[in-house]
Amino acid sequence: MANAREIKSRIKSVQDTKKITTAMYLIASTRLRKAKLSLDDTRPYFNTLQTALSRLIRHMPEVESIYLGTGNYNDDGVMRRGYLVITADKGLAGAYNNNIQKEVLRQIKAMAGPWELYVVGECGRQFFQHHGYKIEETFHYTAQNPTIDRARHIASVLLERYRTGALDEIYIAYTDMENSVTATPRVFKLAPLEKGYFRPLEMDEDGYGESCEFMPSLTELVNRLIPDIIAGYIYSALVDSYCAEQNARMMAMDAANRNAEEMLAELSVSYNRMRQAAITQEITEVSGGARAQKQKQVS
Amino acid sequence: MAAEFHLEVLASDRVFYAGPCENVTIPALDGELGILAGHSELVTAIDPGMIRFQVPGEPEQRIGAVGAGFAHVNRDRVWILVETAERPEEIDENRARRAYEEAQEELRQRKSMQEYQITQRNLARAMNRLKVKRGERF
Repeated sequence: MANAREIKSRIKSVQDTKKITTAMYLIASTRLRKAKLSLDDTRPYFNTLQTALSRLIRHMPEVESIYLGTGNYNDDGVMRRGYLVITADKGLAGAYNNNIQKEVLRQIKAMAGPWELYVVGECGRQFFQHHGYKIEETFHYTAQNPTIDRARHIASVLLERYRTGALDEIYIAYTDMENSVTATPRVFKLAPLEKGYFRPLEMDEDGYGESCEFMPSLTELVNRLIPDIIAGYIYSALVDSYCAEQNARMMAMDAANRNAEEMLAELSVSYNRMRQAAITQEITEVSGGARAQKQKQVS
Repeated sequence: MAAEFHLEVLASDRVFYAGPCENVTIPALDGELGILAGHSELVTAIDPGMIRFQVPGEPEQRIGAVGAGFAHVNRDRVWILVETAERPEEIDENRARRAYEEAQEELRQRKSMQEYQITQRNLARAMNRLKVKRGERF
């Protein structure tokens, strides 16, 4: 059994660690709130964009675009898939990073054919590099502070590969925060977009009339809009993942706090017991000594 | 008083303007395009440039610098979706000029096609900001 001083220094160190985990918990919760707000700011734009594109496609269902998998689609029998993987820059977030990395590996192994990895976040980069997977490009500034410009940059890099035929399909792997308790890793096909992605029109909306003018052509418009939609999807995935990351970190830190409290309770019990034992021993010694003195005087 | 219609100018990071409007001028691909209430249905792409719109009851038109995007005109509604939208007072002239000069210099260097396109777009944006800031009309 350790002595009292050792237990005391252990208590001190647990308390210090608890201070750190509490601070990290608070930081994660404010970041989560901020990220959610910035996502709300961009909602009106992307919702309207999506509606507009749904209308265009409904107006002319046979519209051809490489982004929709029609038109001059490179078909040589080999599927080259690109994966954009969104991970965190830091660990200490429970199983957040691990889940998404495992999901991507499962996907890569499940389908035959060459693939390319595009990684956001330091954790993912280190993981894939360590396990010997080739990384095509890392965007290692983005996980911390998702902005629409960065999402656009990522989209332009990926779509450039897609347009030149170096990639046949682009997938994005991100973590979707369903609510404050569950987060699920998801893989979504960014390009070619499936027509089912465009939500059906509401009852009160109608398509374009016969007289509607398009400038420039409809195909041209669709080709201009889709990269924006893809950038928007990447952005919302970045923010979604970031929220999930902060949420995972909050939960991890909460668990750490609770563990620290449990440890502190146990340690302080054994510290008190130890102190009590020392006091009892001292009293026994003092009273024993006094009795011995008394007996000496009597005799 | 001119007839009104509903105008929404949505930038990718915020709602720039949503409300009634009497007329709006947008930078379409082949020049400026003015829209009044009751315009026929139209979908058009937008180049970086200046938009002007008249809010009912205001003495002057409001102006803004917009990035690329598209506009969608219905009988009584106009949506303008652009990547960025800024009021003149929000534009930092020094920053815009610096961006302009940087883009000019970068264009002189030999770069990949992708970088060239990015620089071209940066240049267009910077020039547009400067123009709107100085209140020039096209």
